[in-house]
Amino acid sequence: MNRSVSSVRAVLITHRLLVRQLLTRGRLLALLSLGAVVVLAAVGVSASAEVEDAARTIIEVMDGLGLILVVPIVSLVFASAALGDLREDGTLVYLWLRPMDRLSVVTGAYLAALTVSVPLTVLVLGCAAIVGGATAEGVVATVVATVFGVLAYSGVFVLLGIAIRNSIIWGLAYVLLWEGLFAGFSEPIGNVAVRGYARSLLANLSEIDLGSAAEAKTSTALFVCVMVAVGSLAAAAIRLERMDVA
Amino acid sequence: MVEAVGATKSFGDVVAVSDVSFQIGSGVTAILGPNGAGKSTLFRMLCGLTQPSTGTVTVLGRNAGTDREIRGRIGLAPQQDALFDRLSARTFVALAAETHGVVEVDTRTRDALERVELDVDDPKPVGAFSKGMRQRVKLAAALVNDPDVLVLDEPLTGLDPVQRQRMITLFGELAERGKCLLVSSHVLDEVARLGSNVLVIAQGRLAAAGDYRSLRDRMDDRPHRVRVGTDRPQLLAGALVERGNARGVTVLEGAVIVDVDDIDRFGRIIAPLTVELGLRLDELVPLDDDLESVFRYLVERRR
Repeated sequence: MNRSVSSVRAVLITHRLLVRQLLTRGRLLALLSLGAVVVLAAVGVSASAEVEDAARTIIEVMDGLGLILVVPIVSLVFASAALGDLREDGTLVYLWLRPMDRLSVVTGAYLAALTVSVPLTVLVLGCAAIVGGATAEGVVATVVATVFGVLAYSGVFVLLGIAIRNSIIWGLAYVLLWEGLFAGFSEPIGNVAVRGYARSLLANLSEIDLGSAAEAKTSTALFVCVMVAVGSLAAAAIRLERMDVA
Repeated sequence: MVEAVGATKSFGDVVAVSDVSFQIGSGVTAILGPNGAGKSTLFRMLCGLTQPSTGTVTVLGRNAGTDREIRGRIGLAPQQDALFDRLSARTFVALAAETHGVVEVDTRTRDALERVELDVDDPKPVGAFSKGMRQRVKLAAALVNDPDVLVLDEPLTGLDPVQRQRMITLFGELAERGKCLLVSSHVLDEVARLGSNVLVIAQGRLAAAGDYRSLRDRMDDRPHRVRVGTDRPQLLAGALVERGNARGVTVLEGAVIVDVDDIDRFGRIIAPLTVELGLRLDELVPLDDDLESVFRYLVERRR
């Protein structure tokens, strides 16, 4: 008797289960509140008489609040919880001790996190860009930078969720210190931070200069975001294979 | 079906399981040990959830941690109470079936839930279930893939006496079908009803293994300590020593603390003796009949 589950089926089962697990009222309310702050900032930009170039200012707001705060934090909350919550509460065993390959479980978890994070962030930041007076290019740039930022961050945070305990705290430290602070100060660090590539997409596609920390080509930025996700998921699958499960 | 060879598991300086070796075939094998003895760690090693620090643990000749196919032939009901609390019992067990690659998910889910006497159509989430019902949900999930090896960690905890008896009967039926069941417990009497094969784990070590009856005899053969309450303890103590009915006696707070080799014989002679001496027998209390002392005795005897 064949007791294995095909890779595609394992991805679908894991995805279906974890979307349901991730969608809690508390999480959604907290993150929609965060998004509301960005939308309010955008409304402020559009309403302010002091803003000379609203199309430029709103892209800077999308960079400063959207890509540095909303995108990584929403990704962190859902992606680190996708497998991390199961690890913490002891239910991971119900996916681990199964004839399913580890990469499929990790991929299912990643897709579950994306299923929630991508619509949430695109909705919030896309609306904020429109309300704030961004050009059509600016709105497209915001959406693309958001999507690829979430793709990369979610990969990193799925790995973080099963690699360490209290991943939310460590993830916040990473987002605020590494991505938010150090990556802005130092070009070498900026090259190994997701933020720089997401900013490059925003700057290149909106054709608005966001400074030296956003100078990667569009193709490079897209490639790096995807590769960060792929590399993180591969590492997460290896970690899942080797970890002790409670 | 299941084999451990010199299996040791350490967590830092703490040795949870130490140099354990055994072979288990089909049938029910009870793993008996006090809380913290290392039973759950041993089970986790069997299922590949943690790898032994040294030695090997295999199921059907393979390592469940690295062999995907073998994981499909194991059913585990873990000790921890965690379930996907927002799912109904039916959805939870169906999920277990799907993740095991079961083809007839609905039929097998229904069968598994009926076997543990849970309502298939109960829409309540398992988070709202009682401990006993949650325990049965775990059992149903462990059974749904018709595994060759069932690892059940304290599966009778939280069940009422009727449910316990039904589960024990179910385990017996599965054993008769050639399944290998490992069932842990820290309750001696429970183990007596589970089956004849017993592994006793104490302080991370295999203290005893084999047939339950011979093990029980060895437990009963150990020295026992009994408190005998009487109105004249000095007189009783003197008579017990003089007639060779005790290894040692201590008079303490109006009672005699008696060390005896044969507890059954002592039980037979004590009442006639008090009658003969004209004493009042107030109480007869075994002082070391708890499981901890039984395990301690077995471990010390093994050294």
